[in-house]
Amino acid sequence: MSEKEDETSGLYKVGDPPHIHIGFDKNQLMLKTFLLMSIIAYASVMVMGIQALFHILIALGTVLIVHGTMDSYQKWRGIKPTYDSPASPLVAGMIVGLCMPIAAPYLVTAVVAFLTMFVFKYMQGKYFDHKYLNPAATSKSVLFLALAGVFRFVDSEIAARVYHPHHQELDLLSAEGFEGAMWIFRGETVPLLGAEVSATQGLFFWQTHGWIGGASGVVVLIVGIVAAYWLRYKWRIILSTLGTMTILAVGTGLYLGGDPLLRVAFHVFTGSVIFMAFFMATEPQSTPMPENSQYIFGISLAILTFVLQIYNVVGGSLYALVIMNMATPLLDMIVIKSPYGHRESKGGG
Amino acid sequence: MLEEKEHVHHFKENGGFEVDIRMKLESIDDPFTEVPPSDEMTVFLNQHIGPEGDPLVKKGDEVEYGEKIVDFGGKGKMCVPVHSPVNGEVKGYASVRHPLSGGKERAIIIETEDEEKEPCYEPLDPKEASRKELLERVKEAGIVGLGGAAFPTHVKLGEENISHLIINAKESDPNLASDVRLMMEKPQWLIEGIKLMGHILDVEDITFATRTEEGETPEFEELLRDNDVRIKRVRPNYSVGSERLLVKEVLGKEVPSGEFPPQIGTIVHNVATAYATAKAIKEGESLVSRGMTFYSKKTGGKNLWTRMGTSIEHILEYVGVSQVEFERIALGSIMMGPTIPDPSYPVLKATSGLTVFTPEESDPYEEEKPCIRCGYCNTVCPVDIYPQMIMKAEEKNDIKRLQSLNVLDCINCALCSYVCPSNIRLTPYLERAQNKIRKKKG
Repeated sequence: MSEKEDETSGLYKVGDPPHIHIGFDKNQLMLKTFLLMSIIAYASVMVMGIQALFHILIALGTVLIVHGTMDSYQKWRGIKPTYDSPASPLVAGMIVGLCMPIAAPYLVTAVVAFLTMFVFKYMQGKYFDHKYLNPAATSKSVLFLALAGVFRFVDSEIAARVYHPHHQELDLLSAEGFEGAMWIFRGETVPLLGAEVSATQGLFFWQTHGWIGGASGVVVLIVGIVAAYWLRYKWRIILSTLGTMTILAVGTGLYLGGDPLLRVAFHVFTGSVIFMAFFMATEPQSTPMPENSQYIFGISLAILTFVLQIYNVVGGSLYALVIMNMATPLLDMIVIKSPYGHRESKGGG
Repeated sequence: MLEEKEHVHHFKENGGFEVDIRMKLESIDDPFTEVPPSDEMTVFLNQHIGPEGDPLVKKGDEVEYGEKIVDFGGKGKMCVPVHSPVNGEVKGYASVRHPLSGGKERAIIIETEDEEKEPCYEPLDPKEASRKELLERVKEAGIVGLGGAAFPTHVKLGEENISHLIINAKESDPNLASDVRLMMEKPQWLIEGIKLMGHILDVEDITFATRTEEGETPEFEELLRDNDVRIKRVRPNYSVGSERLLVKEVLGKEVPSGEFPPQIGTIVHNVATAYATAKAIKEGESLVSRGMTFYSKKTGGKNLWTRMGTSIEHILEYVGVSQVEFERIALGSIMMGPTIPDPSYPVLKATSGLTVFTPEESDPYEEEKPCIRCGYCNTVCPVDIYPQMIMKAEEKNDIKRLQSLNVLDCINCALCSYVCPSNIRLTPYLERAQNKIRKKKG
């Protein structure tokens, strides 16, 4: 019949179906993510002290300043604001705060937060059709690489506090070397209980070193599971990352030596793995859509992380994540699942 | 705060979504009332899947209720005649925008003379009539699928080697309740229709698939049991009522891509179509009226028995609301109904509902935000395709990619749009993508 014609002059507005929406939007998704991460932040401050709070507040403050400035600029120029609420910037700020090592200088936290918000959220979003790289992970990786370079040539305290040169001397491949390296996680006394924790207990419950967001691996695990279920994160990435890390840790323990449980505690429950797996590796824009690709993403991420971790590369899990982010467009192209009608020949089933 | 059932954690992976059906429940208790015909009836020549027919009447002709006014001279088996919904006089032909195609199509304008309803055809005795005669009656009476697809019923009933008949009373749409009302108000006619369909198809294995809970339609359920019709209570999830998904739900089999249920020995008919079939055979009634649900927040749900050709304007008046108090009108359900630009549009054979929105109920997709690739759309997709990736490929006009993403398997249920946290209406992208592939295939 005749061609569809433009319809603008009628009494009613016209539009395609559906005419109803679930009512759950991305600002709510971000806000709920932020609230859940606040529980982790609270636990981190309890374990690591006021320094952790300063890092978190500096990161949040920096992203809010960048967001406020950009928002004002965009409104002034008559451009549609990139973010219609501060929910997404708040999540970015919280992630930056929680993924910083407690020993890092506050200035580094502020710079990472700035790079995250300005370069890898605003600019990446502006110049590409979506964010291919996880903003916080990429910012931290870029800065850490730069500081590592600085440390090689300049005797910089800031670089040293981020780069941790003593990590280069650790031998995580042998049983003795591994167990010896774990001294840093034991001996802490838990307030109120007054109990001194072993390295394994420390890694599970009470870490005063490493990522702020990993201060209590168990809290991250519980909050992460709740968030993944409640907000429908890409759970296959979490499962395959943590599952693969666990298998590799147990396998390494059995093959190379070292208490397998301690290996699991170290390789899975440090913040750079468990916090990353739940709250960074599931960042939706930079991770694959097809379900099977998410498994491949998670397994590959775990293998890369494990290798970098065992060879003492500081920030290894974030480099691994950035590498996997780059592989995402390729992973989106493959392993598309068969839809309804393609799975059963002749309709059997 | 969101209602519990509206939260995303209620997604059923690969199984759709348990959409809030409070609107439906509001409508169920309202019995059918008959909308008198409007002064002028607009009857489209084309009201089903298939070619447009040839008009049999001219300006000035007197027509009777149920009289055939559009027929097909050997245009193929997909042809279904159209009948006059009133006793009246043909005022002429008009080129009117069709609510479904969006293009201007021919319609016959009939001036209503009275509200009398005397069937045009003689009743048939199914025990004496041959299968061919019964099929011919279904065709002559203009029966099409009343679930929304408007597929010619005689074509489906004419299939050979069918072993299973599924009667679809799932009525997934969250604001429609006319099928349930039929089960409550016309149980005897429904069972007659189901038996007749089984008889024509020579099928004994019949399943009645419904969302209703036990005891919701007690009289009808007893009739189903007395007549050896199996009752299958399907999951309440939205979109399970789609023909292809219902087959999987009931039989555990998938209809192969690009094929139809008869390929696996199954036929699915809507429950309202069974009613129309019974009326056509046993009373000689042609398909000129149907049950539909009118829904607005102001009035709640109202079940109406409406003649095809009645203007929406007239229905609004009948329901007691003013046409100017609304901003949008969807012809059909809140999930799948296309909108119409003005209230002069008429009810078609495929019109199962009317959903109207005031300016306060603004379009939830007006403030679209950039996609965040959360994957909610493919998580809820009941046929397991990737709406977000299809949207991107459609934007790039990448036909090869669209084919590899199996967009032709989309059932247009709109769940992907419904759950999108960026309020992106994905459905039009999917439809455009389907059209591009079909166009390429010729």
